[in-house]
Amino acid sequence: MTTTCGYCGVGCRLETHVRDGRIASITPAMDGPANEGHTCLKGRFAHQFSRNRERLTTPLIRDARGADPRPATWDEAIERIVAELTRIRSAHGPDAIAGLASSRATNEDCYAMARLMRAAIGTNNIDNCSRVCHSPTSFALRKALGLSGATGSFSDFDHADATILIGANPTEGHPVVGARIKQATLRGMKLVTIDPRRIELADYGVLHLAPRPGSNAAVMLGIAHVLERDGFVNQAFVDERTEGFEALHALLPSYTPEAVSEIAGVPAEGIEEAARIYGEAADACISWGLGVTEHKYGSEVAQLICDVALMTGKIGRPGSALLPLRGQNNVQGSSDMGALPDTYTAYRSVEDEEVARSFEAAWGVPLSRRKGYTIPQMFDAAVAGDLKAMYIFGEDVAQTDPDTAHVVHALESLDFLVCQDIFETETTRYADVILPASSFLEKEGTFTNAERRVQLVAPAIEPPGEARTDFEIIKVVSRALGHELPWATPSDAMDEIAALTPDWAGISYERLGRRGLQWPVAPDGTDAPILYAESFELPGGRAHFAALPYKAPGDAADDEFPLILVTGRRLQHYNAGTMTRRTGNVELMDADVLEIHPDDAARLWISDGDRISVRSRVGRIELPAQVTERIEPGHVFTTFHFPATRTNLLVGASADVNTSCPEYKVVAVDVRPIGEQPAKVPALA
Amino acid sequence: MTRVAVDGIDVEVADGATVLDAARAAGRWVPTLCFDERQAPFGACRVCLVGVEGAPAPLPACTTPCRDGMTIATEDPAGRRVAAAVVELVLSELPEPPAAHTELAQVADALGVGEPRWPGATHAPQPADTRHPYLAFRHELCISCGRCVRACDELQGTFALTATGRGFGANVAAGLDEGFRASACVSCGACADTCPTDAITEVSLLP
Repeated sequence: MTTTCGYCGVGCRLETHVRDGRIASITPAMDGPANEGHTCLKGRFAHQFSRNRERLTTPLIRDARGADPRPATWDEAIERIVAELTRIRSAHGPDAIAGLASSRATNEDCYAMARLMRAAIGTNNIDNCSRVCHSPTSFALRKALGLSGATGSFSDFDHADATILIGANPTEGHPVVGARIKQATLRGMKLVTIDPRRIELADYGVLHLAPRPGSNAAVMLGIAHVLERDGFVNQAFVDERTEGFEALHALLPSYTPEAVSEIAGVPAEGIEEAARIYGEAADACISWGLGVTEHKYGSEVAQLICDVALMTGKIGRPGSALLPLRGQNNVQGSSDMGALPDTYTAYRSVEDEEVARSFEAAWGVPLSRRKGYTIPQMFDAAVAGDLKAMYIFGEDVAQTDPDTAHVVHALESLDFLVCQDIFETETTRYADVILPASSFLEKEGTFTNAERRVQLVAPAIEPPGEARTDFEIIKVVSRALGHELPWATPSDAMDEIAALTPDWAGISYERLGRRGLQWPVAPDGTDAPILYAESFELPGGRAHFAALPYKAPGDAADDEFPLILVTGRRLQHYNAGTMTRRTGNVELMDADVLEIHPDDAARLWISDGDRISVRSRVGRIELPAQVTERIEPGHVFTTFHFPATRTNLLVGASADVNTSCPEYKVVAVDVRPIGEQPAKVPALA
Repeated sequence: MTRVAVDGIDVEVADGATVLDAARAAGRWVPTLCFDERQAPFGACRVCLVGVEGAPAPLPACTTPCRDGMTIATEDPAGRRVAAAVVELVLSELPEPPAAHTELAQVADALGVGEPRWPGATHAPQPADTRHPYLAFRHELCISCGRCVRACDELQGTFALTATGRGFGANVAAGLDEGFRASACVSCGACADTCPTDAITEVSLLP
């Protein structure tokens, strides 16, 4: 059976091989457009979780807070959900209920969940975990270019003469794209890596810059400054296809390489060289990840990245593309599907009367025109007592969202919490009802990868025990709430999506076939590997420059918290580790560690392997140290793959100004060996 | 574009295409062993020999570029005889016949090669190296085709695998023969995926 990988946003096509109802082996599909016969250790090997004995195999109900959950029948669980949600809706109105769709689930699951919240409950309180990763990218791309997606495909790396990779570590986070970039550099593509850590690809590139966390805006402005000063501006492109360049032009003079060097802590010559490499290349890509977005001004940096591509006209043709590396397998699709508090499918506003009417006509119910809560707003509202119930599907907010103490407070404040997941998680501890769901190996549907490519997902095995597919569960809950979701199969749901969404008009399972289609897809089935070859999807067909100055991040090192913590991902594990921690991958890596530079380690009397304390303004954790030169002095790095570490206790409430994406990447911390009491003014060098 | 005839079938292929590309475009089967379409042509095994009109001897299809007007015979008797002999010699070094699902077994079958006629030394069976949670070495099955080394270099770009030894002792090693886990290996599995004999396979698939 050929399916699409359920780990990262690369969208590898996989062949699943089954023996006795279990996955025996997974091999890469030779014709997978994103992976071309390759895959990584997660997609290929990390499948044993699917039959792990901790899988949820029956609904669970918690009769009292803090009690152990007991097994229940589906009927009892659904009855409980309907009774509680109906009670809360009558007492407090539909906006006292919120739902989360999952970027790990299929487009059809997310669409069904959004329809359940909007039509069965009557609220726009629906969001998904792209909120906490690439919402700033989506915001910036829509503002600058028009559509919320990469402008090209991964194959653009094969055609590019140069690539700037900023705030991403693809050989660990997106290994198959990482391998593709490596091969491109071995063929001569010039790679510039910009990251506080010396990532593996830095060794394959021609230039590595390590700016201070939170100074990306200055770096991009510095590059734009040099591009303009040295005559790399494509004036014809700027004149004919863009607007707003004057404002950027007025802003750039102050961002000399020297000034940027001062802000970002990178050499002025490095900025000059990065700009020259990008400017001189006939075709060049810019690719980025969460190191750009998860900042207070992440959405502004993403706009500045668009500026650099626009001013040089390096967009809309093979080899010249903007390629954000979306984190999760369906982080693109879950947002495309309108599992967002302010939009229906394809990012059309809930306030748009015409769009809202089209959905009302199709669904046969009146729909709210009022924007719902984003994920952070949901937690705030829960603590304030305005939000009474949540239905969380496929997300472990208590482990992955920032400011864990606040999240837990919010979950405890709810009257009623439903979780739908494949394992018990940190979040299900607070759930009143837990529904056993299915993994990507057990379901049918589609995922949309980071190239906007919608690809088919086909079940290889059955869900274990009484677990059901998410699609079935959402249908059952919606019907019980009085709103029938009229689809026999996910394919029927896709037909409805296509009928209601112009950009998806030409998509059907039959047309998706083995290679998928990249939206927008015209009614005749023509898809769009490259966007903006002729015009942009904004009024007048013109792209918009953004003139945004550098602003300091939400947190900064000081005497009490002298180091800056950056969080990220490692090759062996995936996000909260719910799946990969239940596979042989733990033999390759079994705990989170804190990377620290030898200079800092020596100063703090920390040796490799020591257990240390990391304290931020909002929390404190303990974990082992790993002394390495991959990280710059003054910075430390860790992951949040293991719940025992609770890394996100350290992250505060600072978030992107436009999208409320949390600032996971800049946290001032105090690091010391366990046993030492924190002093007000530590005796540091 | 370049026009060639394969077994009497006219095909048009891109400039620079190989004879193997042309044969596949014509729907004709050519046996291969060291070839993997994800890797640059290597031309080591001599199993893909075909007849080319005007050439003094059979040519390896995977590395020979097409020239306009070339006439290719995939079932050239001399080519097939050499290919079968190569595969028979490869089999003669193995301690056991290759498992039916392997590419080597399938090529041997297609070429009509059965029990090798050559007695002599075979690689001694040894316990599989399972120090890695997923990837296992069965060194006695290695035929030194180089596909795993090239997969690691050309597909993954990690350069963790190396050809080792000479002649009968030729084999493959991860890092300095320290096993997958201690080497630079990133566990992508590209080597196991390309291996035509199970010399590198998945731990869970070991017999």
